[in-house]
Amino acid sequence: MDRQVDVVVVGGGSTGCGVVRDLARRGLDTVLVEKGNLTHGTTGRMHGLLHSGGRYAVSDQKSAEECIEENMVLRDIAAHCVEETGGLFVKRPEDSEEYFQEKLEGCRACDIPAEVIDGEEARRREPYLARDVEKAIALPDGAVDPFRLCVSNAADAREHGARIETHAPVTDVLVEDGEVVGVEIEHETGPGKRVHREPGTTEEIRARHVVNATGAWAGNIGEMAGVDVEVRPSKGVMTVMNTRQVDTVINRCRPKGDADIIVPHETACILGTTDEEVDDPEDYPEEDWEVDLMIETLSELVPALEDARTLRSFWGVRPLYEPPGTGTEDPTDITRDYFLLDHGDRDDLPGMTTIVGGKLTTYRMMAESISDHVCETLGHEATCDTADAPLPGSENPARMEELMDEFGLRSPVARRSGQRLGSRADDVLDEYDPNPIVCNCESVTRAEVQDAVDEAGSDLNAVRLRTRASMGNCQGGFCTHRIASELAQEYPEPVVRDAEDELYQERWKGQRHALWGEQLSQAMLNHMLHATTMNRDGDPANLDESVDFDAFDAGAGSPDASGSGSDEAGSTGTAAADGGRATGDASADGGRATGDATADGGR
Amino acid sequence: MTRHTDDDGSAEESSEDDRGNGRGRGEPAPGVPEAGRDEQPSIFVPDDGEVPESDAVGARDSEAAAGGDDAAARAATDGGVESATGGTDSTDLDPDAYDPVDVFPGGDLDLREGADSCYKCTSCDTSCPVAEVDDEFPGPKFQGPEQWRLKRKGDHDIDESITSCSNCMRCDDACPSSVPLSQMHNEARGQFVERQMEKLSVEYIRNRLLANYRTSARLASMFPRTASFAMNFGPARWAMEKVMGIPKERDFPEFATETFREWWKARGGAKVENPDKRVAYFHGCYSNYNTPEVGKAMVRVYEHFGYEVMVPPQKCSGTPMFANGMLDDARRHAETNVENLVEAIGEGADVIASCTSCSMSLRQEYPELFDLHGIEDLAEHTFEAMEYLRIHEDLEGELDAAGGPDEERELAYHAPCHARNQGLARQAVETFRDVDGVTVEDVGDSCSGISGTYGWKEEKYEKSMEIGEEMFEHMEDAEGDVGMTECPTCAMQMEHGTGYEIEHPLQLLEDSLGA
Ligand SMILES: Cc1cc2nc3c(=O)[nH]c(=O)nc-3n(C[C@H](O)[C@H](O)[C@H](O)COP(=O)(O)OP(=O)(O)OC[C@H]3O[C@@H](n4cnc5c(N)ncnc54)[C@H](O)[C@@H]3O)c2cc1C
Ligand code: SF4
Ligand code: SF4
Repeated sequence: MDRQVDVVVVGGGSTGCGVVRDLARRGLDTVLVEKGNLTHGTTGRMHGLLHSGGRYAVSDQKSAEECIEENMVLRDIAAHCVEETGGLFVKRPEDSEEYFQEKLEGCRACDIPAEVIDGEEARRREPYLARDVEKAIALPDGAVDPFRLCVSNAADAREHGARIETHAPVTDVLVEDGEVVGVEIEHETGPGKRVHREPGTTEEIRARHVVNATGAWAGNIGEMAGVDVEVRPSKGVMTVMNTRQVDTVINRCRPKGDADIIVPHETACILGTTDEEVDDPEDYPEEDWEVDLMIETLSELVPALEDARTLRSFWGVRPLYEPPGTGTEDPTDITRDYFLLDHGDRDDLPGMTTIVGGKLTTYRMMAESISDHVCETLGHEATCDTADAPLPGSENPARMEELMDEFGLRSPVARRSGQRLGSRADDVLDEYDPNPIVCNCESVTRAEVQDAVDEAGSDLNAVRLRTRASMGNCQGGFCTHRIASELAQEYPEPVVRDAEDELYQERWKGQRHALWGEQLSQAMLNHMLHATTMNRDGDPANLDESVDFDAFDAGAGSPDASGSGSDEAGSTGTAAADGGRATGDASADGGRATGDATADGGR
Repeated sequence: MTRHTDDDGSAEESSEDDRGNGRGRGEPAPGVPEAGRDEQPSIFVPDDGEVPESDAVGARDSEAAAGGDDAAARAATDGGVESATGGTDSTDLDPDAYDPVDVFPGGDLDLREGADSCYKCTSCDTSCPVAEVDDEFPGPKFQGPEQWRLKRKGDHDIDESITSCSNCMRCDDACPSSVPLSQMHNEARGQFVERQMEKLSVEYIRNRLLANYRTSARLASMFPRTASFAMNFGPARWAMEKVMGIPKERDFPEFATETFREWWKARGGAKVENPDKRVAYFHGCYSNYNTPEVGKAMVRVYEHFGYEVMVPPQKCSGTPMFANGMLDDARRHAETNVENLVEAIGEGADVIASCTSCSMSLRQEYPELFDLHGIEDLAEHTFEAMEYLRIHEDLEGELDAAGGPDEERELAYHAPCHARNQGLARQAVETFRDVDGVTVEDVGDSCSGISGTYGWKEEKYEKSMEIGEEMFEHMEDAEGDVGMTECPTCAMQMEHGTGYEIEHPLQLLEDSLGA
């Protein structure tokens, strides 16, 4: 049997990543297991708002206080994940003055620095704001990159001895003698970093304690252990705009409602959101009206949104939890607070603790409290330092000018690389010369892609999350193949192909919800290019039967080459080469192409 | 009657402090963007011909003094708004309206939104003549939509490579999706020069000199012979190359002994009066100082067709300034141009330019970059000289009737990039196709490579000649050994590369019509 570790943390969202970092820094032998990529769950599908607490200042002051506290901590320890955009709660003429005042008082009560500005001043700061916005409360909201945040937490944990296993779903919770003693996981492509087509394996990890940080999926793990965890998943839509119409977080100042916030995120603006309870966090309808609602309602605040280009939309599910018997009707009324469920106390099943609810903004605080709990349970004495120790990449700010000069990057490229890599920029960029741009829209260079490949294997979605490659205008149309070819040195061709397909499909998934106007043109152009230049609408390598390359190599006219059943003369070599396209087609261009085919084959 | 005949209306160079904040002139009240194209009434309303007292300042006084013109006879043409820059303080703004540009701090335009139209097809890159010969130049797609999209408020750094763009605007023409590429380049270049270029660097001064061609030209034309000689004289040339970075291979254009405006004044202004057919001639700097024969041809041809020609006071169209990122300079000149030309429009004139870059500037760059009262009107009423005649007159019929020029003419015609952008690339060839005794051969659609001031920079000279190579070859191959083009700087390049004499289509038209 495998050796026993101190703690297994299940779930690689912000909560799990925060917990594994904290425990590892406290000296415990810890393993993080995640069924997909890091941030595969809700964390990768959230809005990207670093809450100032303003949103909860009226309805949930405890959460608001936690938010402002952690907001300040993250600016410090995760500088390269945070953009200090500032935020506004804006009031339109039809919004209630009374609520505006309540909001303001709430902020003051929670120690959230808040300032009232008039409409003109608001428009001076954000010129696209509607002309009839009357006034606004300015407060320290920010934007946070959940991917970078989780990756940095996991990297720090690994530096402190933790083991991180992604693409490793927990398939069972091991219970022996009324106590949780570990988990069984399935390595989809073997342990370590993910490489397509590696055979899967299973592994039992025995641990002194299991932390269930699976968010909206916490009920499943609970079930495996035989306990009830009543998560009430609630979905929300987010719509990504191609450019930034605002550089400040814009909130609508009114009591809870759909479509009331715009968050500038990297090159884009993200509109959100809705709040609707769903039965299954994996399977819920994604409806077009939700997207329409975002654009329509939010253009009341920023009219330019109406005509602006939408790249894609995505949905996330909140892991809302309420103690049994609360019975809140409306999911928007369920508390945003987090809960720590000690299954020893609660269900008489020692060895496992579940943490659910909360927000990304407060992930570190949640991690601290559950780590305290675990240490106490295990009798391990150590103090928490995560509020002071900067995350890797955030030790000191990247130096733009030096990046430009030293690595010959053009200024917006250097700026973006610097922002993404933080203090790692030097090390990463130093590796490659020349260092061409692989993804033009987001200015991602080969060095950054290779750095991500080193960590993520052939998993190009993980590469995307680390670098933002393929997240711009073209949504991968012009760069997935380039990103994939960065794998070609290290991995065999079929792996590269699978990796490329997977990324391309993922990009397509979100674009389906933006197929009008410019993004529709983009999708059509992408399709045409991929079909006509890469043959991806009928790639012989994707066919089940193998391609008869010999027939092609031998050239037209050789006995091997005939046999694709064409009536016209001289066409057969081509037909074989394009992998069994319709015969009519093949013979139509076959006559001309025969000579070519021979010439090619001989080369 | 003589209209608008002053020496050149230049006495009121704006004061220095105005230069400092350039487009910030008439700073908007906080929160209210400067009134832009979305807010201004697009219809121009001329008033009844009274000159408001407050208007008769600066230019007018000096004009009146210099040109002996009667200021009071001139109509106030700015539709009742105080100044050409006015219109910023309208209080009742349409709440649903928004101005998509206009808004970065310090008056910078925010053109990020333009990136929405780009689907990365790369047509622009493949049509860029500079990218073709300069491996260091990242091309219009990066320069335009990509660089803009990556910008955030507070990011001011623009990549230096923007200074390699020649502003030929071929990318504009190539884009299937109407991305405002040249606007993006112009604005980025302006921001770069404003914020990042060493203001005292030799390159900056050289560029500013080149951009303000009009100023140099005005000085030179006071002593035309000395100037032409001195500028091209050995030691002076050497100094220019070494100190300023102006390539020794280039000869400075000759300055005419009599400028177009001097000729016009001496002639006593217009010979035809016709309130129903009026045009205001925007001659630009080059046909004023260097090739007044083009301006004269314009006047004669238009008078031949019965037009009353007006020559309002004017300054540089701004083309060389845009290309060098000197947006503040360009704006100051634009203020004068817009004010005077709008006034002429109020008197029933359309605006005619003989230089395709000037018409391009008034039509496209002005409204894209500046926010001046009447600027949209001006854009709508501006035409290139031959284009206008082809719209309003039976040019072919008239040419047919005139029977062609006295002697056989064979010309190698190059369509300037800026003509191409206005859809005028074929007009010269088409107009003269059936004229007896005239053969106009199109030398193809390549770029001449000079792009205004681009080829005047030492570090760009080789690139410029490399771009021009295709055109030179085609010119050599063509039958004629006289070149023809609408653009004065293309003409310089054509002459420089082949030694041919270069004409303007208006001159050929004048010849062919016997005007
Ligand atoms: C629409 C929306 C917008 C939001 N916006 C914000 C915001 O702007 N600011 C903010 O602070 N918060 C926001 N939140 C809240 C925030 O996103 C979540 O609270 C936070 O991301 C939860 O993180 P988590 O780690 O608890 O859960 P998750 O991120 O869901 O992590 C759970 C992980 O467990 C994994 N997992 C599940 N089952 C298994 C298994 N069997 N084996 C292994 N792994 C498993 C999942 O793959 C997943 O990665 C938003 C939430 C939603 C839904
Ligand atoms: S304006 Fe001309 S030189 Fe500049 S990017 Fe466009 S095509 Fe290239
Ligand atoms: S031609 Fe237009 S759409 Fe195509 S890449 Fe260039 S800017 Fe984008």
